[in-house]
Amino acid sequence: MTNTFFYILSGVIVASALLTLTLKNLFHCALFLALTMFGVSGIFLYLGSEFLAAVQVLIYVGAVTVLVIFGIMLTRDVMDDKIKTMNQQALLSVVIALAVTVVAFLALCQSPFMAGEHPAALLTQIVPANSGDVYALGPELIRPDKGFAFAFELVSILLLSALVGAIVIARKDKEKA
Amino acid sequence: MNSIPVAHYLYLAAILFGIGVFGVLARKNAISVLMGVEMMLNAVNINYLAFAKYWNWNSLTGPVFVVFVITIAAAEAAVALAIVIAIYRQMKGVNVDEIHYLKG
Repeated sequence: MTNTFFYILSGVIVASALLTLTLKNLFHCALFLALTMFGVSGIFLYLGSEFLAAVQVLIYVGAVTVLVIFGIMLTRDVMDDKIKTMNQQALLSVVIALAVTVVAFLALCQSPFMAGEHPAALLTQIVPANSGDVYALGPELIRPDKGFAFAFELVSILLLSALVGAIVIARKDKEKA
Repeated sequence: MNSIPVAHYLYLAAILFGIGVFGVLARKNAISVLMGVEMMLNAVNINYLAFAKYWNWNSLTGPVFVVFVITIAAAEAAVALAIVIAIYRQMKGVNVDEIHYLKG
């Protein structure tokens, strides 16, 4: 029962991802992007990370999709139905994307991990662990002796500079306008 | 209760990554290209969590990396959309194959 739902979820993710990148109307694309991200958060739940699933819904479905919809609305007259959505390399990019996927599949099938030589490859049941639990994740991020604390501070600086940079780039230039 | 082999998560991530590659390469609109990039980042996140859960379940490195990837993806989306809006103001269009100011 739970297994069938995983494959249904995977089908929904793949179908909505394909629709996101092939539909003509950009607004529909953004809505299907939200559906894809929702499905991925369901996969995170399957992997036992409730906290990351919630973060995925909050940030991707809540923030990034709204940001994308704002971007679409601010550049609105480009979503005309008559405009071609694919560039001249569309066929070539299908070939390249298929090649990337096939190479990834082949690499997966031939890796010792998949051949069952690694003990974890035989494991089909997730070991109940503390990972993904917010009580375990928080101290891991800010503990000074593990090396993630520095990255944590760096990411906060990156977020601040991205915030300031986005405002500076998108702002109208007063002197020129 | 949960008996899905780890390979199926990795196959799903590979398919999602391939779709993202297709979107980045084939779409004309810069916002669609951004959507493709977000999809590729999500595929990477699935891989991180799958390996963290099935292989090395004592380490929290995988979930921590997912947190960092999500953070950086959000920052990237904000800056990219700001650039799209600035380009739209300059050129009245956001087609990536028409933006070649930097071409030598």
